[in-house]
Amino acid sequence: MAHTNFYEKITLILSFLILNNYLLLSLNFSLALIKINFIIFLFTVLVFYFKNFSENPFLKIFFLCIIFISLGTATFEWDARSIWLFHAKVMFYEDSVLSLDEGYKFAHIEYPNLAPAFASALGILVGFWNEVFPKIAFSLMFLPPLILIFSFFKDVRYLIFLSIVFFTVGKFLFNGWTDGLVAIYFGISAFLMYLLFIIDSNFYRNRLIFYLLAFCFFASLTLIKNEGVALLLVLFIAVFLIKLYKRELKKNIFKLLFLCISFLPIIFWKFFCYSKGIGNDYINTNILFNLLPRLEDLNNYKTISYFLFLNEKFLLTLTFFFVSFWIKFDKELFSFIFIITLMYILILFVIYLSTPYDFYWQLNSSAARVIRSLSFLLAFFALYNIKIAK
Amino acid sequence: MTDRKTKILFLIICTLQLFYLFNFRSGFRYEIIRNPFNENSGISYAVSPKVVESRNILKKYKATYFNLSEKLKNDAYFYQRSLEFNYPIRINQSSKLFFSSINEDISEKCKIIETGKYLKLTRC
Repeated sequence: MAHTNFYEKITLILSFLILNNYLLLSLNFSLALIKINFIIFLFTVLVFYFKNFSENPFLKIFFLCIIFISLGTATFEWDARSIWLFHAKVMFYEDSVLSLDEGYKFAHIEYPNLAPAFASALGILVGFWNEVFPKIAFSLMFLPPLILIFSFFKDVRYLIFLSIVFFTVGKFLFNGWTDGLVAIYFGISAFLMYLLFIIDSNFYRNRLIFYLLAFCFFASLTLIKNEGVALLLVLFIAVFLIKLYKRELKKNIFKLLFLCISFLPIIFWKFFCYSKGIGNDYINTNILFNLLPRLEDLNNYKTISYFLFLNEKFLLTLTFFFVSFWIKFDKELFSFIFIITLMYILILFVIYLSTPYDFYWQLNSSAARVIRSLSFLLAFFALYNIKIAK
Repeated sequence: MTDRKTKILFLIICTLQLFYLFNFRSGFRYEIIRNPFNENSGISYAVSPKVVESRNILKKYKATYFNLSEKLKNDAYFYQRSLEFNYPIRINQSSKLFFSSINEDISEKCKIIETGKYLKLTRC
């Protein structure tokens, strides 16, 4: 069995602790346990920083800058305040978000709570709540994926990777929103899926740690935001289709089924919300009622395309992707990313066409954020393709 | 280009990107970074003075529940921010403590117990 490196171990511990924190808070474990869990997380981060300090200095220094910026800004934007950090605040006061009545409907009580749970644990550790520090927990959640990638990209390539992160995720690294987390966790989940199922090598397939990492990242992706569920589903369908086409499905079915367990936490959460009569805006309203009249109007497709694709980040990363695959065409990698991108765009079209809100408002307020996941995915795999070409 | 030169180039790019985020996209305040672990840190940048006033009044009267006048309920910004900012003090339709805007008429059944710069707290 291949040797597990330091960064893979650290990533697994950190991502496990984030999930564990969610479990401890959801099951009402004692505050002492929640504090211990967070202290172990911080200790692991310190081990990452101080064991071979000179190794991977870019992430260490730049990440400190991110924390510094986060600690110098108040949480003032709507999503961050009224959804994510409000959920965290409710959990900090040892209440369940499900205890909020109809008056708090604006806070989207049914949204998944992995990031708020982590911010709440930080509040519990510090001992009070304010409008500034809890959101650094969101920034800390970027560490596991960023550390893991150091196993694959070194020196210049890691710097290019960081530059991609800054470009595609931007202010979502520190402002208390979850869109940046979804983008990074999705990109890295796709990468793990690629290593475990698509790449023509047994190097990763024979290593248990990669299955555990995939499990943690997949579960985290679904628990960060509803969008994550759709994105993970897209990854599973893409792998399923490719394996079916290559007639290798039988060989991989048990591994895929094992990783499907990562959907369970979000299924439990949604079932729990449903049992309390709390539903999703999209599912509660009649989707077909909104969708059907919009399907026939060509202008709707144009408007969606305008908002989704005429985005400078998306266009630049798409160009980078094509240039990378023009330099070296890896058919398997290209088809994997192409299928994922196509399926997700299709889902986005269906979601926007069926929105119960004002069509234009919904696009204007969310399209640029949602497309970040694809921008990061394209740029990340473009870089990976160049790396394996050398 | 050698590896070293590329490394320096991307180091500069990353630094510039971070500087851009810090300077133009963050809303960073030196006043906040001086004491980010203070309970009242960043409040004036997070919500409007009207919302801050609602919390100060509720804290003064040690309220556990409050209610809002119809006019304030229709003000989406104030409604949402006052609810989440004042938590764990919750909104409750049967609460006798009512917030109204300073220029709102008060029902005869209500008694004003506090008048602030933007809000009035009444007991109905």
